[in-house]
Amino acid sequence: MIFGKTKLELKVGIFVFAGLVILAFFVLSIGKFRTWTSGYQVSFLFDFINGVKVGAPVRFAGMDVGEVKAVGINFLPQEQKTQVQLYSWVKSGVKIPMDSEIWINTLGLLGEKYVEIIPGGDYSQCLEAGQVMTGVDPVPMHEVMRTAKGIVDNLNQTVTKINSGEGTAGKLLGDDTLYNNLEELSEDLKRHPWKLLWKTKEDK
Amino acid sequence: MKIISYSFFISVGRSVRTLLYYLGGLASLTMQTVHQIFVPPFKGYRVMVQIKKAGFDSLPIVILVSLFIGFIFALQSAYFMQRIGSEMYIASLVALALVRELGPVITALVVAGRVGASITAELGSMQVTEQIDALEAFASNPIKYLVVPRLLALIIVLPILTLFADIVGILGGYLICVYKLGISSSMYLQVTFDSLLPKDLNTGLFKTIFFGIIIAMISCYEGFNVEGGAEGVGQSTTRSVVLTFIAIIIADCFFTAIFYFVFP
Amino acid sequence: MIEIQGLVKNFGSHRVLNELSLKIDSGSTCVIIGRSGCGKSVMLKHIMGILRPDKGSVRVDGKDLSGLGERELNALRLKMGYVFQGGALFDSLTVGENVGFGLIEHTNIGRDELLERIEESLSLVDLHGITNLMPSQLSGGMKKRVSLARALCIKPNLILYDEPTTGVDPITAASINELIRSLHDKLKVTSIVVTHDMKSAYKVADRIAMMYHGKIICEGTVDQIQNSPHPVVHQFINGLAQGPITETIESGMKVS
Repeated sequence: MIFGKTKLELKVGIFVFAGLVILAFFVLSIGKFRTWTSGYQVSFLFDFINGVKVGAPVRFAGMDVGEVKAVGINFLPQEQKTQVQLYSWVKSGVKIPMDSEIWINTLGLLGEKYVEIIPGGDYSQCLEAGQVMTGVDPVPMHEVMRTAKGIVDNLNQTVTKINSGEGTAGKLLGDDTLYNNLEELSEDLKRHPWKLLWKTKEDK
Repeated sequence: MKIISYSFFISVGRSVRTLLYYLGGLASLTMQTVHQIFVPPFKGYRVMVQIKKAGFDSLPIVILVSLFIGFIFALQSAYFMQRIGSEMYIASLVALALVRELGPVITALVVAGRVGASITAELGSMQVTEQIDALEAFASNPIKYLVVPRLLALIIVLPILTLFADIVGILGGYLICVYKLGISSSMYLQVTFDSLLPKDLNTGLFKTIFFGIIIAMISCYEGFNVEGGAEGVGQSTTRSVVLTFIAIIIADCFFTAIFYFVFP
Repeated sequence: MIEIQGLVKNFGSHRVLNELSLKIDSGSTCVIIGRSGCGKSVMLKHIMGILRPDKGSVRVDGKDLSGLGERELNALRLKMGYVFQGGALFDSLTVGENVGFGLIEHTNIGRDELLERIEESLSLVDLHGITNLMPSQLSGGMKKRVSLARALCIKPNLILYDEPTTGVDPITAASINELIRSLHDKLKVTSIVVTHDMKSAYKVADRIAMMYHGKIICEGTVDQIQNSPHPVVHQFINGLAQGPITETIESGMKVS
């Protein structure tokens, strides 16, 4: 140690340096540290957020531009209702027009929720740092399913009936007897206009 | 029947007493060590020697073990994930399991077996051959001279080794998924790093600091308390490894519970 | 001057030192004889402050060791050298680092002067050119001599020898005896030698003390001891199988 040289320092140096490199790699790749990209804070108000978690992505025009940093709940005494506020971080350079529509959407197999922003058209008024926007409330999934199922069921029934020539509409569309009758009648009337006033044997 | 239960309670009582003595001794050594850290002179050189021994020299085995853990974990999760048709999420499973749990614990167990055992054997044979007394005779505090560098080195080394284990284990999973299961390389990497949160890395690395303290303190304590020559050194070394393993697993359970309930 | 009074030390339920009292004058060489395992090494470790007494006191230069803080105790220890029974060389360090250990750890001595001091100490024990060897490469006798050199290197004014001549060849033993003698004569170093080698004891001693069952049972000059009427002393110094000391091995062997 005191006498003779060893490669001790070199080995320790390699070891610690490699460790730091891996750490840096993780920090940069995990990518949610984001301390080096600048951005701004905005909030979105919803009546119902369908389980959005902190860290959920915020997508603008289908692209990840930020994430939800915190979820807060507010009770509004005047209106007697509860609102949920999503405090979010959005990359700087992303302009969100005030007339954009904001949804809670579901991603992929595991049902991860995210905030979807569909850009509006009026870029004269954009969301500024610290401002709040109200979102369109998502309908709970089970309600969507129930309603949709009811509609589809009814529609299905009707279409089946129409196709098989049942019911008034079905017969109207599928049967040409009426048409033939009408044609016959009009020709008959042309030849024998008095028939409008006289009862014949065929019309029992 | 009565006699049996009576002697049972006596032996339980004795075990509890032994355990309390042990914990007391360990705590006292730890306190003295912490105190000695702040007593001058500070010689970084000894810490460097221990970092080299515990860290640099442990790299091959840590890399080997974690690479195979990555292989195994990827294959085992592929078995089920393929059945439900979600092979792309193997990457998340491997990444989360390694970074949160397997990386830290496998590293700690490898280091406990390799470095902890050698610390106990070294200090134990120093005790048996009066070298510890010799240190005191030359006015060097054995705790300052022997325990402090080992403790500091293990605290520094374990997180670094764990980082190696994490990255190599993820590489193992990558190799299996990309070359064996036909998942695209960029997809694997993207899913891996999308599923990891800073929290996962932090909790994984935080635990290892305590694993380092556990390994250092138990193996030094066992080394100082060797009795009865070479045989005693052997017994203490075995006991040191067994106790360190148990302590690491218990501590891990404890930390996992804390992280789960306190920082969800 | 070293003054031990009523020293008691127990290891578990076994009493190793039992009300031991002894006085050693500065500059003199005191040889302590006794059977293996009777507590001689334990007594030396009390003088060094490595072990703490259960009862009684040890005074070195008038200071009670049990009343000293670690810093004062260490300052005192740096004036003492201890030659361990098995050498107790630090096996992770080279011979040179072992010999210079006290200086490296506790002084800011320059490299050249350090090397000089190490060479000087090693040449006192007739060893040359082994500074870069590791202790594991040395024979038992060499280890003991290196241990002696390590004790000498800090230029102590008190040296404790724990069986310095056991396990070395007769010629080395003779040269160690001469060394102890010359340190005493030239440098006025106080020496305490624990041994059961009577030849060595007669050669180096100013006074001899006999230890038996954790006590000093007889103390005096070489002549007084040789002519002692005490049956235990008589049996021991003459190496007789018959006498008051029986073959029962005294327990506490492992702590000596």
